[in-house]
Amino acid sequence: MSGYLVTLATIIAINAIVASGLNVIVGFAGQISLGHAAFFGIGAYTAALLATQAGWTFWAALPCVIVLTAFVGLLLGIPSLRVREDFLAITTIGINFIVEAVFNNFEFFGGALGIGGIPRVAVFDLKLRGTEFLCLCLAFLAVVIALCGWLTRCWAGLACFALREEETAAASVGVSPVRFKLLAFVIGTAMAGLGGALYAHFMRFISAGDFAFPLSVSLLSMVVVGGIGTLWGPILGAILIGVLPEVFRPLIDYRILFYTTLLLLMIRFQPGGLLGENSAARRVLARILPGGRP
Amino acid sequence: MSRPLLDISGLSKHFGGLRAVDGVSFHIQPREILGLLGPNGAGKTVCFNLISGVYKPTAGTIAFDGRRTDGLAPHVIAGLGIGRTFQIVKPFAQLTVLENVLAARGIHRYPHLSKVWSRWRTPAEKREALGLLERVGLAGLAGRRAGLLPLGNLRRLEIARALAVGSKLLLLDESFSGLRHEEIAQLEALIRAIRGDGLSVLLIEHNMRVAMGLCDRLVVLDHGRKLAEGRPAEVRADEAVVEAYLGRKGSAHAA
Amino acid sequence: MQLFIEQLLNGIATGSIYALVTLGLALVYGIMRILHVAHAAVYTIGAYVGLLFYNLTGSLLLAALGSMAVCSLVGVAIERFVYFPLLKYPPFVPLIASIAILLSVEELCRLIAGPQILTFPAELPFPEFHVAGVRVTSTVTAVYGITAAVLGLLWVVTTKTELGLAMRAASQDMAVADAMGINSHLIVSVTFVIGSAVAAVAGILVGIYFNQVYPTMGAIPAYKTLALIVVGGLGSVPGAVVASLLLGMAETLLIGYADIPLPRDALAFIAMIGMLMWRSQGLLGSR
Repeated sequence: MSGYLVTLATIIAINAIVASGLNVIVGFAGQISLGHAAFFGIGAYTAALLATQAGWTFWAALPCVIVLTAFVGLLLGIPSLRVREDFLAITTIGINFIVEAVFNNFEFFGGALGIGGIPRVAVFDLKLRGTEFLCLCLAFLAVVIALCGWLTRCWAGLACFALREEETAAASVGVSPVRFKLLAFVIGTAMAGLGGALYAHFMRFISAGDFAFPLSVSLLSMVVVGGIGTLWGPILGAILIGVLPEVFRPLIDYRILFYTTLLLLMIRFQPGGLLGENSAARRVLARILPGGRP
Repeated sequence: MSRPLLDISGLSKHFGGLRAVDGVSFHIQPREILGLLGPNGAGKTVCFNLISGVYKPTAGTIAFDGRRTDGLAPHVIAGLGIGRTFQIVKPFAQLTVLENVLAARGIHRYPHLSKVWSRWRTPAEKREALGLLERVGLAGLAGRRAGLLPLGNLRRLEIARALAVGSKLLLLDESFSGLRHEEIAQLEALIRAIRGDGLSVLLIEHNMRVAMGLCDRLVVLDHGRKLAEGRPAEVRADEAVVEAYLGRKGSAHAA
Repeated sequence: MQLFIEQLLNGIATGSIYALVTLGLALVYGIMRILHVAHAAVYTIGAYVGLLFYNLTGSLLLAALGSMAVCSLVGVAIERFVYFPLLKYPPFVPLIASIAILLSVEELCRLIAGPQILTFPAELPFPEFHVAGVRVTSTVTAVYGITAAVLGLLWVVTTKTELGLAMRAASQDMAVADAMGINSHLIVSVTFVIGSAVAAVAGILVGIYFNQVYPTMGAIPAYKTLALIVVGGLGSVPGAVVASLLLGMAETLLIGYADIPLPRDALAFIAMIGMLMWRSQGLLGSR
């Protein structure tokens, strides 16, 4: 596999991890988040700082990164969930801008220059490069998907689904809306933190601009285009959104326009996502595969 | 006379200047079917929302099984054993009928963060949920997506969900509305059976024949105040009640 | 003291501009509960088209009218072809579509007019004057005047005309408005027309005030105006105006006086989150 493809695949794998986290928040619990990139960034910066300032290895830092990101998710989630549904989108946008501004303006985070010199991930003194690192990311992706799958099968997941469908009715069967929304938020942001750590050690240099609002939009697009609330939707979405700009590269100047127009068309005509209920793709698949949903 | 299961005293709910419920008091005994009647806008659903915790009272107290519940959150009140249906049905549309009831079966797990990590799709749970569906006559539709059901079936689904939650008291909000003749008879039988199981039922109902025939006692509200309370025969003869109903010929639900 | 007055006047001007840009967004949200991020796209188109017509005709009035016409069409097109069919989906679906529209329009402007910053050297026919020794340029006077005129006009329309009554009814409860014989969809489209026309005026005014027209000029307003309608109270147009003025003044004075390490744009969101903590329905919103 050529170096370029490996890099692309790695980015897609990392995006898929982060998008799966967003899917827990948006797809499972029905809470809109347009600030998910901020938590991706918090994970990345935490990993970067622990690696460069404290000399921790990726493995030693990982639990800390995940817990810290989830904790910030909890803190920011509490005020977010007190607001009405319409406000939530805007509040999460605000979180993105504020977090980005904090990274950009404080010397502790390297200011506008960001943090560089992040070492590679090492397994028993063997530094992981290229395909090896890709395999590591894929392994983590598999773990994340398994976790999401398990979540759909346990009572916590059922509570989130009920919440997503009908909050008042969910409360009437004992589901505390605040508690389960926060739970989804914490799980989702933790996954974003994991993705952030991988990203930091992959790019080896990060700056605030990497985690700005447009990335939150991309992540949400991945979830929606792939099929919101489905297990494999975020992966499909990450692949599509990762690959499309590259496919359009020959168009050079027009590629962004093509990409945004395609996004608009996809959302306008397949709002349920490609793996969503009643989507064209699903209907085709239903004829080919024997029953059951992916 | 045993301690009432639900005791409401001086209950009021004001929305700005509007007194939706104004100083209402009544109680429900164990194993009793109580009907909450009144013309449109009398404050019946607001009472339900106050009892189930959706609204906080402006004044007054609500006590369930001896403890104060006014001001508690809806999910907490549900956990105490009060199940309810909604006037405008609220199914978990994307889930199947069975999954709707299974979701309600989690009532005792949701409050404890340590108990929500086990699987819910177990044979034991499915059996219990199917049992509830059988009681309301929906067992055949267990695998159907709830959002696709017609209104009558959705009302029954709401009752099945409420049964899963309500171990002591059921609040039924216009559950007979939109049902056909045979369905009404079936539901009446079901409610009597529920009372036989030891639960109490508080129902809001516009269908006079059902209310008079099914309920042990009635409470009539009008403009947020209690007009009358007592056995159906007494209430039917009460002058104030007659005036409240005949004075507004809008909803003619004579059986 | 003179510096303070100067800053204050600038702040009010900035706030007025924010108010003009936010106005259309607040109107649309009030009636359709959609976060119309693409409003910033309409605003950008307004600036570009205004500049084009001005260069073609030399008349600012024609430029304004032409731009308003074009933007109204664009706004209604967005409403009919994108938002209306997506109404039955959860709110983030039209939101993503809206963001996609904004990004596409940015790209179109870049491809058609070029990525460079264009200048808009028009003279606004408003007088200069002096306040306490501070010179107020004709541009600033124009901003005050035009904002006041637009707000005044809007107030007259919404409170004194039947159309305004229909708009208020539809934004309170569309089902009831429908039942009372109001053609809600028509009212929605009219709201988009009005909002987009105001966006056009705002775009031209900003282009002249800062003497800059460029493809991504809508990016910051797109999200800052969202924060402003939240602070003002979602669905409250006067609230949005008040919030805009306050933010304009706060940004200018804080940058001028205090040395806050956070950039201006984060300020709007910090204010927004603070407001939500204190009063979750916003300044003038209703519960």
